[in-house]
Amino acid sequence: MGHHYITEVKNEKFVFTKRSRMIVGGVFILGLILTFIGMGQVKNQDHPADAEHTALVVDAPQHEGGAAAAEEATDAGHGEEHAEHSTGMKRIWANFLLNSYYFMLFAVGALFFMAVNYAANAGWATLLKRIMEAMSSYLPIGIITIGIVIYFGRDYLYHWIEYLEKGLKPEDTGFDKILDDKDWFLNKGWFLFGVPAIMLVWWLFRFILGKLSTNEDANGGTTYFYKSIRFSAAFIVIFAFSFSILSWLVMMSIDPHWYSTIYSVYNFAVAFVTTLSVIGLFTLWLKSKGYMEIVSDEVIHDIGKFMFAFSIFWGYIFISQFLLIWYANIPEEVVYFDARLNPHYKMLFRTNILMCFFAPFLILMMRNAKRNPKVMLIAALIILCGHWLDLYLMIMPGVLHDESGFGLLEFGMTIAFAGFFIYWVLHALSRKNLYAINHPYILESVNHDVGV
Amino acid sequence: MLDKKLIIGVYDDGDNLLHSVEKLRKRGVEILDCFTPYPIHNLDKALGIKRSNLTVGAFLCGFTGFCLGLLLQFYTMTSHLHTFKSWPMIIGGKPQNYMMIPSMVPVTFECTILFTAFGIGILFFIRAKMIHGKIPDILDPRQTDDRMLLVVTPDQLGEVSRSEFDSIITSAGAIEIREHNPEHSNDNQH
Repeated sequence: MGHHYITEVKNEKFVFTKRSRMIVGGVFILGLILTFIGMGQVKNQDHPADAEHTALVVDAPQHEGGAAAAEEATDAGHGEEHAEHSTGMKRIWANFLLNSYYFMLFAVGALFFMAVNYAANAGWATLLKRIMEAMSSYLPIGIITIGIVIYFGRDYLYHWIEYLEKGLKPEDTGFDKILDDKDWFLNKGWFLFGVPAIMLVWWLFRFILGKLSTNEDANGGTTYFYKSIRFSAAFIVIFAFSFSILSWLVMMSIDPHWYSTIYSVYNFAVAFVTTLSVIGLFTLWLKSKGYMEIVSDEVIHDIGKFMFAFSIFWGYIFISQFLLIWYANIPEEVVYFDARLNPHYKMLFRTNILMCFFAPFLILMMRNAKRNPKVMLIAALIILCGHWLDLYLMIMPGVLHDESGFGLLEFGMTIAFAGFFIYWVLHALSRKNLYAINHPYILESVNHDVGV
Repeated sequence: MLDKKLIIGVYDDGDNLLHSVEKLRKRGVEILDCFTPYPIHNLDKALGIKRSNLTVGAFLCGFTGFCLGLLLQFYTMTSHLHTFKSWPMIIGGKPQNYMMIPSMVPVTFECTILFTAFGIGILFFIRAKMIHGKIPDILDPRQTDDRMLLVVTPDQLGEVSRSEFDSIITSAGAIEIREHNPEHSNDNQH
């Protein structure tokens, strides 16, 4: 009983211990090793004779799809125009794109969430601001990895680039009207310039907001706070447009004949819900290590509410995209879901809906679930795995058709990226104090009360 | 409430009210209720009020809406329920088996929302005993404006004597202490 208003926050400093460094670094190195083993395995994938062998080495799902798909590939010859790229290389690049994009989403999502908190004058998450800052400090790595994909891996992933380079005229055989019509937007120059430019703009905002935060820590006062609000508001507007463009260029152009107007919102939903799950996981981990005692259940509860709400949001956007296309049944639109509802991807497609919507919806519905660290941990992990699968289903059918699989490559590369991401974020977190102590809303966050 | 003998403390500051509630509860006084023109954070915790079960009601309403929405569509759109000579509606080549479930999502969703919204509203009115034509339990007209009331019945004071009670709440910031006696008059109603 009773309510005690806390008027003072003792700052803490996170120590990234040698043991933690070893473990996270070890995960990264293990991931790298597994990636290289996996790469060796999939190298053989494009030789139908070796398909049996590959299927035996990697996991069970591979066995179902791998052998059959490899035969199919030679029969149907669907890769006619880009036959020179081996399936193995395509699979490696597709995985690299998946993980680059996935972890970049956390970085930009954290920056966006921070900006939203500033712009909305919200104070409840102020205690977690450093976690968001640390997460968004991964942005340069995201820029580099996505840059690698679009400069070195583009021929393996985006077949429209190859098509446009041929420069076919309407009377030529193999002329593609849809790609030709989209040329004003979907062209190589804009692709190679736009994607890095957009992310550099984000990084610029991250730099400014980070600088303001550092200065606020050193000098105090509210000037930095008001400046941050202005930059945050600007960032939200720029982010809305630029993230749409980025998701079209990087993700939707994998299936260049298809378009969905809600696709960027869908990607945003993925970004936001995964970001909140990651923020929640870092908070819970820090709390379990004895840091952040002052972060009350109320704050965790609100993070849980956000995860719950945006899982529903994702479900809403998903069904909005799916239902219209499924119902209208127009060939050039339905081809996207046709590729994802064939026997090879059907189960993954359903699992995806189950993991991204139904599981978090049912798990996080109860109030006590959101206040229970174990339940939150499970929910966050389900959301993260589900949205990894979500991105898998966005990329793989377009790049690999029915020849994708789950093997050491997929597993290892994700582990490697995750290890690197966690190392980077924890390192960034250890360099500053754990709380933005001069933030005007810090006490509001400490004394936060959700009311119920 | 108006048919009981009541002691009413009047406050002009939510924090003062909160602190007196905490002090009184520490001394073993059970408080009947508090009336405030706007919500005061942590007051319900300080009063020791259990969390409302309205959310469970919301879930049950929503679940009812979910089921009824699905039932409605199966009844009107398909011939799966042989209760009626229904005419299966095939729109846009929609299949007539379990694969048609995606097409049912919007209506099911809307029914869930509708039942939850109305259900929770109705439940709230029932729980709060609010109905059209009811004479309001207003102890003091100012409770709807800028004053907060702390209400106890004399037998809730327990070990605390009346004068002690007065001094506790006055020292915590009560600006006025009144008594309500149902036998006297209905002076509090207007």
